[in-house]
Amino acid sequence: MAASLEIGRVGAIILRQMRRPIMSLLVVYAVAVFGMTVIPGKEIDGQTYYMSLFHAFYFISYTATTTGFGEIPDEFSEAQRIWAIACLYVSVIAWFYAIGAIIRLIQNPYFRLALAERNFANSVERIIGPFYILCGFGDTGSLLARGLSDARIPTVVLEADEARVQALTLRDYKVPMPGLCADASIPIHLQEAGLERLNCKAVIAATNNEEVNLRISAIVSLLNSNAMIVTRSRVDVFEETLSSWSRNLHIVDPFKVFAKGLSAAIFNPVLYMFNEWLVGAPGATSARLSRWLDGTLEPRVRVPPKGKWIICGYGRMGHEAHEMLAKNGLKVAVIDPHPGRSDEDGLSQYVVGRTTAKTLRNAGIEDAVGILAGTDDDGHNLGILLNARALNPNLFVIVRQNRHANEVAFNKANADIIMQPSLVTARRILLTLIAPLLKPFFKLLLRLPENIKEEFMNNLLRRLVETVGDEKPHLLTLDINDETSSAVVELLDREETVLLGDVLRNPVDREHYIDTVPLVVCSEPSQNCSDTAIQVLPGNDYAINKGDQLLLCGREKAHRLFDSTLNNEYALHYLRTGKEKPRGFLMQWLVKRYPPLAG
Amino acid sequence: MNLEKVIFGFFIVLALTLNFGFFLGKIENPEHHNVIELFAVVVVNFIATGLKLGDRSHIGAVLLATSLVADLELIAASVYWTVAVHVTGIGLTSEVMASIISLTGGALLANVISVIMLVSETLMSRR
Repeated sequence: MAASLEIGRVGAIILRQMRRPIMSLLVVYAVAVFGMTVIPGKEIDGQTYYMSLFHAFYFISYTATTTGFGEIPDEFSEAQRIWAIACLYVSVIAWFYAIGAIIRLIQNPYFRLALAERNFANSVERIIGPFYILCGFGDTGSLLARGLSDARIPTVVLEADEARVQALTLRDYKVPMPGLCADASIPIHLQEAGLERLNCKAVIAATNNEEVNLRISAIVSLLNSNAMIVTRSRVDVFEETLSSWSRNLHIVDPFKVFAKGLSAAIFNPVLYMFNEWLVGAPGATSARLSRWLDGTLEPRVRVPPKGKWIICGYGRMGHEAHEMLAKNGLKVAVIDPHPGRSDEDGLSQYVVGRTTAKTLRNAGIEDAVGILAGTDDDGHNLGILLNARALNPNLFVIVRQNRHANEVAFNKANADIIMQPSLVTARRILLTLIAPLLKPFFKLLLRLPENIKEEFMNNLLRRLVETVGDEKPHLLTLDINDETSSAVVELLDREETVLLGDVLRNPVDREHYIDTVPLVVCSEPSQNCSDTAIQVLPGNDYAINKGDQLLLCGREKAHRLFDSTLNNEYALHYLRTGKEKPRGFLMQWLVKRYPPLAG
Repeated sequence: MNLEKVIFGFFIVLALTLNFGFFLGKIENPEHHNVIELFAVVVVNFIATGLKLGDRSHIGAVLLATSLVADLELIAASVYWTVAVHVTGIGLTSEVMASIISLTGGALLANVISVIMLVSETLMSRR
């Protein structure tokens, strides 16, 4: 279906089509009632009784609906009975015809669609706080929806596949997640999803179709230039096209993200572990991270080794991985059934054919350290994994999982890293949305001078692990403004200084601090956070300014305490001064006159 | 120790206990209920309400609301008492007394909620 259906227009058409059944019912009823009243009834004491209009209507009503209570109020005359026979057949048929027609009209698919659209628009309007629009509810989309629900951000979902929308309604989310079955690249559907509303903060284009994602991005940048756009795109051309459109646009390419992650894992293991721990990847718990920092982690779970790698499948993923490995000077052998690709990229070793024991040997599996099974066929990837393990048990195996449904098989497969493009995309999009400062933070960490890098990272990770303990790390992005931190802004407006160290104190006991670490503070979040505006690991003496954006990592409970501190002037006053602020008018007046009473 | 908390707690608990004292006794028997005690309950409740004015926190707003409820019911009870004795001259019959005491019973409940909130806030902040 192309355009949107207005409930008013479709409703009017449906009502117009109901004219005929309703009119025929009316006529039949009118004639039958009229007949009942003029036909003479029984003669009692020489007087002929006639049925009243009320009784006639009563009789026709229960006769037409086949209820049949009998001859009420009095026994009928023979003449009335003849008329009753006629009424019965005609009115019952008219009744069934009319009711059937009306029900059929109500079930008209277009009418129901229009109804669903209106209900959807209403539930979007009921969202008060900031919300996101998610286009596409496939593997990536549903992972994202789960993550956004955990972060308590309401999200409006547009998905073209009816079955997926049904699946959406069956999930238990912590926040409202209205969904509509519609093509998201049609502007009116995005409008219905609340694109032009002020509290629409971001649009995520995560459909499986590149063209659709591109169109969505274009529409969004035209209709709401303030909304952030996150697009999943795997084609370079689009990236060039898109990036010139809007400052708010972020492109996530799952294979690029993965290739970067792979290179970080090989050449920057600390950073890799940090990232894995932040996103809560399986096998990256706090306990493991601290064992890893101590160097006591068992050798089986390790970071990818340096040495010769074999890449099976030279598609998008193989391409990106090869580029990344070759750039860093590792030897790479590629196995792919398509001949004639070896010249383009200057591959050192290119084996043509499906990945079998023979081609693996040809590629030199005996002296390889790692293998990447990166075809777009899950069965094939699992086959490669089994083959490779048999030929060289010490290999570091990375396997690509294309479909979420195959999870059970992959978890049993004993791979070192399972790469799910949908999961990688979902995680990256989620971090871009809920922790936009993480990217500049990582960039700065990467640029640290080599001599202090390791110690700095180790100290940071130890501090984080100590703070968060064995819980899942929780990221909090906080803007200092009226809505999110009213008490702080009130103080700042009165030209008072609020120190970061003070707001991080524990409201229960101000000598202690809550379990969270401020990672970054950015003074110009609207300017895309240039390096000068960013301060990594701000100290307790940092003076908060209005408009600052903070990124904290800690326990979720600590962040709830933090939130209440920022909005409660009494708690904030206590944390800053160690004294209770007078609450009632009486005490405020007393303290003003006799300051020693305060405290 | 905080002086405001002492004053605040004193009046809120006093309002509750006085209210309870007045409420105690047979509901329809005027001999079990002292008019001076009702007067004290009203005054102390008004003071407690006054102390709650000015608190801008969420819990402060709810505390003020419970206090206002208690005031309303106590005023109704005392007006009824006055009207019955001085205006209509019915005197303190058992029906009149039962209405007055049930009104103060409502105020007692509001005061209990007030104290529960005070205690829970104190326990929560733990400082």
